[in-house]
Amino acid sequence: MTRLLGAPDVATPLPRAGHGLIDQIEKAGLLGRGGAAFPSATKWRAVAERSRGDAVVVVNGAEGEPQSHKDRLLMISRPHLVLDGAFLASRVLRARRVVLYVGERHDAARQAMLRALGQRTEPERATVTLAAAPARYVAGAETAAVHLITEGIATPTNVPPYPFERGVGGAPTLVQNVETLAHIANVARGIYDGTTLLTLAGGVARRGVVEVPIGTTVGGAVSASGGLRERPRAVLVGGYFGAWVEPEVAWRMPLDHRTRLGCGVIGIHPASRCPVCDVAAIMRFLAAESSAQCGPCFFGLQALAGACTRISEGGDHPTDMQRLQRWTVEVRGRGACRHPDGAVMFLSSALQVFAAEFANHGSHHNMSQIA
Amino acid sequence: MTNSLLWYATRGAGAVTEILLTCVVVLGILSTLRVQTARWPRFLTTGLHRNLALMTLVFLALHIVTAVVDPFTNLGWAAAFIPFASSYRTFWLGLGAISFELLLAIVATSLARGWLGHRAWRLIHWLTYAAWPVAIVHGVGTGTDTWSAWMLAITACCIAAVGVSLVWRLTTSSRDPLAAPRLDFRSAVDRREVR
Repeated sequence: MTRLLGAPDVATPLPRAGHGLIDQIEKAGLLGRGGAAFPSATKWRAVAERSRGDAVVVVNGAEGEPQSHKDRLLMISRPHLVLDGAFLASRVLRARRVVLYVGERHDAARQAMLRALGQRTEPERATVTLAAAPARYVAGAETAAVHLITEGIATPTNVPPYPFERGVGGAPTLVQNVETLAHIANVARGIYDGTTLLTLAGGVARRGVVEVPIGTTVGGAVSASGGLRERPRAVLVGGYFGAWVEPEVAWRMPLDHRTRLGCGVIGIHPASRCPVCDVAAIMRFLAAESSAQCGPCFFGLQALAGACTRISEGGDHPTDMQRLQRWTVEVRGRGACRHPDGAVMFLSSALQVFAAEFANHGSHHNMSQIA
Repeated sequence: MTNSLLWYATRGAGAVTEILLTCVVVLGILSTLRVQTARWPRFLTTGLHRNLALMTLVFLALHIVTAVVDPFTNLGWAAAFIPFASSYRTFWLGLGAISFELLLAIVATSLARGWLGHRAWRLIHWLTYAAWPVAIVHGVGTGTDTWSAWMLAITACCIAAVGVSLVWRLTTSSRDPLAAPRLDFRSAVDRREVR
């Protein structure tokens, strides 16, 4: 049941793997666990078609999502399994190089990966290099990872060319999240059982990472981590690029990639906190994390964050509410990367689920001022 | 009568093309300066730039077609497309053909910008700075009306307009409001030193 976190991490010989592994990955229906839920088999095929023994495998452990911890925990507890996935990819895709792209502040994860690497065979070790992902939200994006490894700057770049076409140093490149690679190692050994890692945050009894079968409901996942600490007002499914859901709906909602599980963060927003103030703070964070390469993203997110902040401070809000509705539509799909799209999806769902709180925030604000 | 009508059309379309092309160049320069006021939003500059450019091609086509089909000039189609192929005023018409082809390249690459990529498009767009003066010299050199007061006034205004906007462009630093925040973010995720 807990193939990733429940099993011991040992360096066992890799199973034989060729092109058939890609079919197995497809049959397992594996989707990327970094947040975008892109079908892994499609990605592998795109790199395999183009590789002439020069492909690059980037093991993406940047984990820039503020609430997420599952990638770090996985690298700390199952580094060999992650490396297994990376070396299988390297063999199947005929790669020349494997790059471990680990968050620069995730020291324990990096050390665990290096320790495990030291126990691998010399030919395996010789292909691996380490790159530190800057601790910024967009640094985990595929093109940002490629840009950092190639040129040393972790800004996202325009697509096409996609990394599978022209990635690290111009070579076809597979950028794959660490959890996805770990699952693929289990697929190759025939022991993948369809679980996913979740990070539970907010008003739960025990915050942290759990491994549950895909399709588990939010209610089931929360019970698996010891239940609730406080009465919930809403659930944020999928982190800051995810969507807010009413708790009654979320509780029965199976977590899979149709429900936009994203990077696997489940945030329980307790009824005791003001959602408008929290949404405004997160919008300010996302606006500050724009790499300022595209006008609609930089100015659009700043304008949205500004309007949210004015509402949270009890300012002129009927106009700002109309602006929010209009601007969320105008910003979507207008960046080189998905940063603005994720941010407005987060905000649109907040405006729906917290409609009452947004409409009456002035009085809440005045009350808290008096108190 | 028909022949002189064609000749008038050639001269008229030539003058209109000169004015339109000048407007397009000036608007192009203004758009790089990000000029805007409360009544003149930025998209108006770029929208006008694009639409007037297409209109320029229409008048340019009229200018060329009426000149070629005019039996009195007996130019032939080759003269319109191959520089210096015309026996009549070889040099001045050659300049016209060059300018025409540069403009075609500029418009075609602009229409295919999404496919071409920004960098290549921009590089080719710089050809405007060759196409415009060549067109002006062509007009002054071979124009029937060059030394008439009204045509002199038009040409002088065109040169002054491009001259003033060019000086403005060259003496103003980039007004890209994204430049500073972009640089800030870039340096925050720049790890070239570390490697």
